[in-house]
Amino acid sequence: MMTKIEFETGGSVWKLLVKPGDRVSQGDTLLILEVMKMEVAYPAPVAGEVTSVYVAEGDAVEEDQLALEITS
Amino acid sequence: MITAIIKKDATESMTWETEADEIARRRELALAQGGAEAIAKQHGQGRLTVRERIDTLLDPGSLEEIGPAAGSPQYDDQGQLIAFDPANFVLGFGKVNGRRIIVGGEDFTMRGGSPSPAGLRKSVYAEELAVQYRLPLVRLHEGAGGSVGGTGGKGASLPGAVNTPARFRSVAQAMATVPVATAALGAVAGLPAGRLVASHFSVMSKATAQVLTAGPAVVERAMGEQKSKDELGGWKVHTKNGTVDNGAEDEVGCVAEIRRFLSFMPDNIYQLAPVLGCDDPVDRCDEALLTVVPRNRRQAFEMRTIIASVFDVGSFFEIGRGYGRSQITGLARLNGQTVGVWANDCKFLAGSMTAHGAQKARRFMELCETFSLPIVSLVDEPGFMIGSQAEREATIRHGTAAVLTAAMTTVPWVSVMIRRSFGVAQAAHYGPEGYVIAWPSAESGPLPVEGGVAVAFGKDIAAAPDPDARRRELEEQLSAKQSPFPRAEALGVHDLIDPRQTRPELCRWLDRVQPLLPSLLGPTAFSIRP
Repeated sequence: MMTKIEFETGGSVWKLLVKPGDRVSQGDTLLILEVMKMEVAYPAPVAGEVTSVYVAEGDAVEEDQLALEITS
Repeated sequence: MITAIIKKDATESMTWETEADEIARRRELALAQGGAEAIAKQHGQGRLTVRERIDTLLDPGSLEEIGPAAGSPQYDDQGQLIAFDPANFVLGFGKVNGRRIIVGGEDFTMRGGSPSPAGLRKSVYAEELAVQYRLPLVRLHEGAGGSVGGTGGKGASLPGAVNTPARFRSVAQAMATVPVATAALGAVAGLPAGRLVASHFSVMSKATAQVLTAGPAVVERAMGEQKSKDELGGWKVHTKNGTVDNGAEDEVGCVAEIRRFLSFMPDNIYQLAPVLGCDDPVDRCDEALLTVVPRNRRQAFEMRTIIASVFDVGSFFEIGRGYGRSQITGLARLNGQTVGVWANDCKFLAGSMTAHGAQKARRFMELCETFSLPIVSLVDEPGFMIGSQAEREATIRHGTAAVLTAAMTTVPWVSVMIRRSFGVAQAAHYGPEGYVIAWPSAESGPLPVEGGVAVAFGKDIAAAPDPDARRRELEEQLSAKQSPFPRAEALGVHDLIDPRQTRPELCRWLDRVQPLLPSLLGPTAFSIRP
């Protein structure tokens, strides 16, 4: 099953902690978004393999934009 | 007409049994709603009928129906009743957890919920009954508004007389007098959609509901826009824009949310909210609160962890989680007593006051003011949201409306400064003469240091040999001034507290304000509008 991770708000990608092929456990931090000078961590909602990453560090992103996909 | 159906032998006897039988027969026909086929169709589409919805909401056997005889009879040539179309709005008294309410809903199995003449009268009567008897009102909506064909009854083509009472006055009066909770359970369009949102709490079924000012056919004709009902007005649209407060998985989930909402509320503005028994000790301290806010100011934390910890276990009922998400609003209990809860969520736009967040906060304060609910405010407010989108959304106007609403409230407030409290926006989080306590992590001032330093010391920083180091130095100096200790020394807050002591502090505060509450009852200087 594929799980899509989308940004809940706009901001900029401060840290990208995974790459395609990485295996993650539920709760692992996938990336950290900087929003209004706050760091907002995005934890993995499910365990699985990161199959696609659509953003890079420093990218300005928008609400609802697709960040990455996890296949479990 | 009635006399024609009375049999000759009955008129000569002393009994009214024939008429009594006819009353029973009409009752039976009314319960058949739109007929077996229409009910099967409703079920086939995964939806309950209005009577099943009411049964799900109410305590078993507690419905006392109003106007069950209203409807349109059909007679044969001999004047015998052959069919009876009940009014397509079911209305009555009933009980929820032993407390009486008024309940009503459109019957979608007849005319698609578009009002029949008697149905319209019953639906309008719902608010009037609630105001007259001072009882909470629950409306379970599925239906369209008026039809260009009219309501179809005799005289339906006549417009209302000039001295007819304003249709929506009772809707507004109900909102100022009794709790109003509504659910969208199927497609809700036009007038029922307006009534759905004229409520203190609304919920829609993700599985079955859409809320539409106008449906796809009307939209396509007027706008040339081709959209499905879900695209126009499904839960993803309306729980995000604040049209509807909450989404529930299905109809049963919606009804459960309404029962929960009502459990917090008084019957009307002349009563205080019920106080339930409470097993959760008032002096319970939570060790986890000492570490919930990171020392690194850039790191976000989970405000809902704090909420779950300080109120009675499991009592927090969030309202409007999907919209204005930088602000968290809801109801909870302290030692069994209802309080309004308002907090910031720094994980969403840093917890800043957006236009939607401000509207959500304003409605929340108006709800508390209308029903004399004390307010607990957990503050982590960095200020109004900024940027071009925020400007386009009129953030400063909606935000200032929230600030002024807070300034006009008369209910008791306690504000706990959890972390940031900045700018004009923070003023909305403190009530007049409110009790203010601060965690050690509190910072406050005209604006957060990081933004303020760049503006106020721009030249200073640029001229320094190492601008970055100079900026950090200034930030450090200034953030020390935003610490809660100097503020407490100047009696700028009532007290500094150990975060672990938050629940006991809140419970003591609520106990102290008890004598103030009875004098708040009755109509308020301002109530609540959608």
